[in-house]
Amino acid sequence: MTHLYIHIPFCQRRCAYCDFTTYAQLEDRIDAYVTALCAELRMLAATYQPSPPASPEAAAVGPTLFFGGGTPTMLNLKQFERILNAAAALVCVEQAEISSEANPGTLLNHEYLCGLRSLGVNRLSLGVQSLNDATLRRIGRIHDAAQAFQSYQAAREAGFAQINLDLIFGLPGQSLAEWQATLAAVMTWAPEHLALYALIVETTTPLYTQVTSGQITIPDDDTSAAMYEMAMEQLAAAGYVQYEISNWARSGGRGTEEQGNRGTEMLPIGAAYPMLPHASSCHMPLTSLPVCRHNLAYWLNSDYTGAGAGAHGHSHPRRYANLCGVDEYIAAVGAGRLPIAEEVLLTPQEWCAETMIMGMRLNSGVSAAHFAARCGRSLEATYGPILAQLAAEGLIERNAERVWLSPRGRMLGNQVCMRFV
Amino acid sequence: MLDQDRIRNFCIIAHVDHGKTTLSDRLLQMTSTVTERERREQHLDSMDLERERGITIKLKAVRMHYRAADGELYMLNLIDTPGHVDFNYEVGRSLAACEGALLVVDAAQGIEAQTLANVYLALEHDLAIIPVINKIDLPGAHPEEVAEEIEKVIGIAAEESIMASAKEGVGVPEILEAIVTRVPPPHGQIKRPARALIFDSHYDAYKGVIAAVRVFDGAFESGAKVKFVGTGAVTETLELGCFRPAMQALSALVTGEVGYIATGLKTVEECQVGDTVTLASLPSIEALPGYRPAKPMVFAGLYPVDSNAYPELRDALEKLKLNDAALSYLPESSAALGFGFRCGFLGLLHMEIVRERLEREYNLDLLITAPSVEYQVLRTDGEIITVSNPSEMPEVSKIGSIEEPVVQIGVIAPARYIGTIMDLVTTRRGIFDTMDYLDPTRVQLKYRMPLAEIVIDFYDQLKSRTQGYASLDYSLAGYQEADLVKLDVLVNQAPVDALSLIAHRDFAYQRGRDLVERLRKLIPRQMFEVPIQAAVGSKVIARETVRAMRKDVLAKCYGGDISRKRKLLEKQKEGKRRMKMVGNVEIPQEAFMAILSLGEDGGGN
Repeated sequence: MTHLYIHIPFCQRRCAYCDFTTYAQLEDRIDAYVTALCAELRMLAATYQPSPPASPEAAAVGPTLFFGGGTPTMLNLKQFERILNAAAALVCVEQAEISSEANPGTLLNHEYLCGLRSLGVNRLSLGVQSLNDATLRRIGRIHDAAQAFQSYQAAREAGFAQINLDLIFGLPGQSLAEWQATLAAVMTWAPEHLALYALIVETTTPLYTQVTSGQITIPDDDTSAAMYEMAMEQLAAAGYVQYEISNWARSGGRGTEEQGNRGTEMLPIGAAYPMLPHASSCHMPLTSLPVCRHNLAYWLNSDYTGAGAGAHGHSHPRRYANLCGVDEYIAAVGAGRLPIAEEVLLTPQEWCAETMIMGMRLNSGVSAAHFAARCGRSLEATYGPILAQLAAEGLIERNAERVWLSPRGRMLGNQVCMRFV
Repeated sequence: MLDQDRIRNFCIIAHVDHGKTTLSDRLLQMTSTVTERERREQHLDSMDLERERGITIKLKAVRMHYRAADGELYMLNLIDTPGHVDFNYEVGRSLAACEGALLVVDAAQGIEAQTLANVYLALEHDLAIIPVINKIDLPGAHPEEVAEEIEKVIGIAAEESIMASAKEGVGVPEILEAIVTRVPPPHGQIKRPARALIFDSHYDAYKGVIAAVRVFDGAFESGAKVKFVGTGAVTETLELGCFRPAMQALSALVTGEVGYIATGLKTVEECQVGDTVTLASLPSIEALPGYRPAKPMVFAGLYPVDSNAYPELRDALEKLKLNDAALSYLPESSAALGFGFRCGFLGLLHMEIVRERLEREYNLDLLITAPSVEYQVLRTDGEIITVSNPSEMPEVSKIGSIEEPVVQIGVIAPARYIGTIMDLVTTRRGIFDTMDYLDPTRVQLKYRMPLAEIVIDFYDQLKSRTQGYASLDYSLAGYQEADLVKLDVLVNQAPVDALSLIAHRDFAYQRGRDLVERLRKLIPRQMFEVPIQAAVGSKVIARETVRAMRKDVLAKCYGGDISRKRKLLEKQKEGKRRMKMVGNVEIPQEAFMAILSLGEDGGGN
């Protein structure tokens, strides 16, 4: 089973809050970068040994490929094609969920989007962030709300049946009412998937300087908590199922006819794992929802390959990170080396902790069977007393098969996950 | 050996940053005591901490040889003095070892309170004062006005002031000549029984306690058996000599000379600053005046954050004590914090230094409670007890009366701040004493004030309210009765003894309110609501609530960087570990010092 992440570290402009590996004004390197990326993928393929999925839950995810950034849609179709051809040696692209992030500020016209579809990209993740133009400007986005909607519509018309919208809450100047308006508007668009991230002011960003110097104020923790709770309520009422701390999928199945599901192959659903615990203990198979399967692989702590500058990869028990600089990345690959900047071997303890930290983000939590299969030891033997304590504090819930965050625990995820490290 | 009349013993009196260290450096250089190659900056301050803070904590003495304009060779002994009010007593002792003092004043800043206090101290010891107006090269320098100020305040004619820039080397030759011509040679008689004054002592792992001494009468020879008049300790000198600036062994130290005696003693307590050394063979001898054992004035509880580190803290205090006679410590225990020590310090700076040394040199993670003074409590049963830990204050019904230490303070500041200073002092229960204009724009104010009001953030407040222009000096002025109450703090309904403090009844309400508000900001939100209350007796006088944490989640997706998430959580967990669990509430270390920063946010008290 293969999960492949491909990083495209280019942006027209850096957003004020962003601390990912990405560079503006390096457009002239894109082609050389793509050449290097293809070479890296070929090197990876030459030594690649697919690892068997750890558990039936992990197996149900299926193969995935994810273009992230940066801004993948800074690439032209030819460049996408070259990468996909090289990636085919690693991932079974015919069966894979192939996602790409897309910035509404880049040229997402009908021709381009149809091109992506015909190259096999079957899931699009639009970085909408907010539908308030003033807020978008404040955080340095290169598009406005109208462009976001046009991009969304164009993607539909091009036949994308799996569309995610990324939104951020707790943004500078954002009020509860503004957030509510953004949520209400995007729900009328009826995307299959929504990812709502709480703003984190990272120390290395321009936003950090603006906030610490008092130039800009961000909503306080209570407001941010209220925004999160509001989102949970409104999305649930609109038929979205929260399956992870920041992720919602629309119930009613994957890409439906009336939304122009032209030629989208239905992804194999596989075994009905993991189960999503519901209020009434009526469990629903997670993969029957239009979830992001690639991210699901992360949350199940599966092995995955990362390619491109600054990409991370993981082949148990080894995690690695690639060189971040575009030029040093190109140079390393050009010299015939894998562009690895650092790698660590996780201790069994760290490994167990990461399995919990990731798994508990899912509303379905961590199943004892998956934990045992992934970590080689039993959940009870590893974390029994901690789990009992957390359950007593009302932060987690559990049954014979699995443990998951209670609604209160979901708000306080760090306080829970901290106990596992 | 030089004639006694070719010896000059002097010190430098200067405010922090007025250039004492640079000038000392220049003197060592111009007398070739240190070659350019050996020259490190700031010779006299050898402890890292001192250098970082730009202040001198432990004093030393350096011997220089200087051929004067008269063609004769002179021995100049420069005795270093600490520059902070906490170390007033030590300053007095090093002044007593000299016949002269260079008064270094910044040409732009003028005289500061601490400097002036030290000048008066020097005049009391009949020292010849040589004013040096430093930094004349800086823009904003007004040396003539400063010289006039000196004439007016101290009575030394303006033309006697030497204009200098130690940094540029300007005026340094004149200073050396002035030391020779204006500072008298030491008196004292070689024929009389040997007596020397200890003006500094520090512990050396190889030679035991090293005493820096000034010989007043007679002579000491290497190997002689010596006696310490005040402490009664007797020992054999392992070595004696002088600092140049490294230790250089000599066969003898004679009348008028300054040098060191390596005593082999194990703690500086047996060899205290101010004590008189004599030969053990001599019958009883009159001690040199001014000795008093080091006496702590400010007390605070020191606790390891990790209770298991108690033995390490005890060992570290023991070692620190070897070198610090002014530090005292007694084991105590707190219901909230477990086992620790009640430590006594000379003042807040001394407290800070001790804490930093414990944390740095002994790698301890410490929690320090708010500083307190020592109260004399007359109980209704007639017994008088001293209380330095507020939580040990007896019940109200058992208290007859309480006396607290008071100090005389002197503040020098530009006259435009008089109102501001009055306001501050009045809210701190200060009683006005005198006001003198040093010149038309600068004023010296004197007050009598409870010491407790000074240890709590007074100096910082004074500085910030006067844009840094005011300087402060204080000296202990006895005890007086006051209407004091114990203020208790309850966190999540449970009293936290380590947060208790003593306050004047009239100010208790305000202080309680400020304190709980400050604590509310310092105590992070927990998973449940935490009320914080201040109470006098059983009466709650203020209340704030730390609301329950509503959301704490890493909602951001870090690409595939899963280990980063784990590391963030590890960091968060480490932060929790550095907090003290009191009941079921996590309290950060700073909260126990919250009282010190009251008024920081609003500027009000």
